[in-house]
Amino acid sequence: MKHEALLWLLILVPAATGALALLLRSARTILGAMCAGVGISVALGWYVAGKVLVSGPVSAGADWLYLDALSAYNLGVMLLIYGLSSAYAWVYFGAELREGHLTLKQARLFASLWCGALAAMTLVFVSNNLGIMWVGIEATTLLTGFLICVHVTGESLEAMWKYILICSVGVAFAFMGTLLVGASTHGLGLRAPEVLLWTTLRAHAALLNPACLKAAFIFLLVGYGTKAGLAPMHNWLPDAHSQAPAPVSAIFSGFMLNTALYCVMRYVPIVEEGTGNTGWGLRLLIGFGLISILVAAAFILFQHDLKRLLAYHSVEHIGIITLGLGLGGLGTFAALFHTLNHSLCKTLAFFAAGRLGQMFGTHDMGKLAGAMRVAPVWGMGLFGSLLALIGLAPFALFMSELQILKAAVDNGAILALVLFLFGAGVVFVGALGHAIPLVWGKTTSTVQPVRAGALETLLVVVPLVLLLVLGLWMPGPLQTALNAAADIIRHVDPVSAVSPGGVTP
Amino acid sequence: MMTDLILMLVVLTNLKLLASSELGASIRVVAAQGVMLGLLPVLAHVHDLSLHFAVLAAGTVALKGVVFPWLLFRALREAEITREVEPYVGYITSILVGVMALAASFWLGGRLPVSTVEASSLLAPSALFSILAGLFLIVARKRAVNQVLGFLVMENGIYTFGVGIVAEMPFLVELGVLLDAFVAVFVMGIAVYHINREFDHIETNRLDRLKG
Repeated sequence: MKHEALLWLLILVPAATGALALLLRSARTILGAMCAGVGISVALGWYVAGKVLVSGPVSAGADWLYLDALSAYNLGVMLLIYGLSSAYAWVYFGAELREGHLTLKQARLFASLWCGALAAMTLVFVSNNLGIMWVGIEATTLLTGFLICVHVTGESLEAMWKYILICSVGVAFAFMGTLLVGASTHGLGLRAPEVLLWTTLRAHAALLNPACLKAAFIFLLVGYGTKAGLAPMHNWLPDAHSQAPAPVSAIFSGFMLNTALYCVMRYVPIVEEGTGNTGWGLRLLIGFGLISILVAAAFILFQHDLKRLLAYHSVEHIGIITLGLGLGGLGTFAALFHTLNHSLCKTLAFFAAGRLGQMFGTHDMGKLAGAMRVAPVWGMGLFGSLLALIGLAPFALFMSELQILKAAVDNGAILALVLFLFGAGVVFVGALGHAIPLVWGKTTSTVQPVRAGALETLLVVVPLVLLLVLGLWMPGPLQTALNAAADIIRHVDPVSAVSPGGVTP
Repeated sequence: MMTDLILMLVVLTNLKLLASSELGASIRVVAAQGVMLGLLPVLAHVHDLSLHFAVLAAGTVALKGVVFPWLLFRALREAEITREVEPYVGYITSILVGVMALAASFWLGGRLPVSTVEASSLLAPSALFSILAGLFLIVARKRAVNQVLGFLVMENGIYTFGVGIVAEMPFLVELGVLLDAFVAVFVMGIAVYHINREFDHIETNRLDRLKG
């Protein structure tokens, strides 16, 4: 009973904080209230997620709300990223407030939409009804639209327009897919409120109409894939990521993309079982994953803008996660692990890019050269995160990518293996070529060295240390959680107990 | 019978939109389409009309027939632009594309593996045609308002599909979808207004500063 109420609170707390932000009268107080609200959500969410991982799924509201290991894991990661980003927003907008770049109205707009987006994303994770899950994704799109142009400029409006239009069209496709999933239940005699419940569909997966389900999955993959930034539907992503204020970019890249991908994960076991476990849906995932990796690699080589570079890294990593999902087995485990690693790493990278951008007044990598000398803490954060992003050992991203490679070998997917390695190689060389001059190069600007505060240092150190530790040692509870979550996607049987070194018995 | 008539009218309004050269007229046509589709579930279930369908129809008609056109006309007025559509693709070509899309929709609609026992056989084709026509309007027209209209036509297509094929959709979900559509148009309307203020007009082909 108690946990059921907590599921409701998870949505209500951020929504109420967002409403509260509209009433407060000072920008500082608004940011403070926002951080407090997000902090409460994080505490609640982690508590519930922990409960779910220990003692099984929790449901509420006539089964419309439901939290199992998969959603609990994703919720936990999202709240970690949201917590970090909110603390960073305090720093980032605090600096803007001191310089008078942020008005009260903008602070209100930001805080209310920020909390609203948290509520919408939480709704995606806790809803068992796939229709409501869709509503959550669409609400996320619409709420975050205005976050891109907190500062109204021509460029940010352009980015926002592309974002809203492309994602709305994409998400409309996903709705078509949801309808087709509903249509595939014809003849099973399900009652109306049950038709779109994930638990019901999962239980009846083998009886669903396979042709309908295939058509549905294509629509769903293209639709949610647009929101997740899979190539070739990624066109909105570099613009939105580069124009949004840094905390927003961090959330976009750090978890909004994953939220959309999570929706695809939900459908994978249903589609697989419904189409007779032929691996049809998985092959589609592999295809989209590889295209994303290769397209991103090509664009990374020629970037001049730091935030656009990071945006293409997102396309690459979402591609890697999708590839892992498609490979199945160890790949599913690794894909989920990669979600956490990428989110941590990318938020740190955007944190650094945002603060450096504030100091230098630009995101052009030529002009940001020698960032380490001007701002040692953020320079180190940027360099560390870029190294982790391109898959350097011993960071955690290296480990999860290695596991995905191993999954490809296990599956005998040699073409996928070769293309993945080629893409990763291009990214490695290309991004390293950008990163070294960016951090160590000769300073061309006259920006005075800036000292970072304690909170800022903490925001750099915590993600970096986490990434290092996870690369070297995986804590038992995390491994259990990952395995439990992966088993929900893998559906057939728990393929193997996986150890962090990537050794499957 | 009435259902078939409405679906035929939806197809015709789509063709009209492809040929329309005036934004105000396009907004009215989309509004008319929305009203007709709002009435569709009522007519399809005229013998066993439940509160569920009545509320849904009322909401759809109010939003698509009154609120959306009002929002779009306001955006148009505040933007003080000329009312020409300004296509990338000419009207004659658009019509030809439309006819081909219609043929494709009928072919695909017949093959789509959905049982439409109770509903009209025109349902899947006209839904698909609306989706295709909407997508075409989004990519082939310069005006931001016109792209919003394209989005609405596409949304109408999906709605048509939903009414006929998943009649047993839970009420709450449908309400959520309707709310999302409303907010989408609202947000797009505000965006059009902002873009206009910044760029002095709302031709999206001027939105080309971000590249690569």
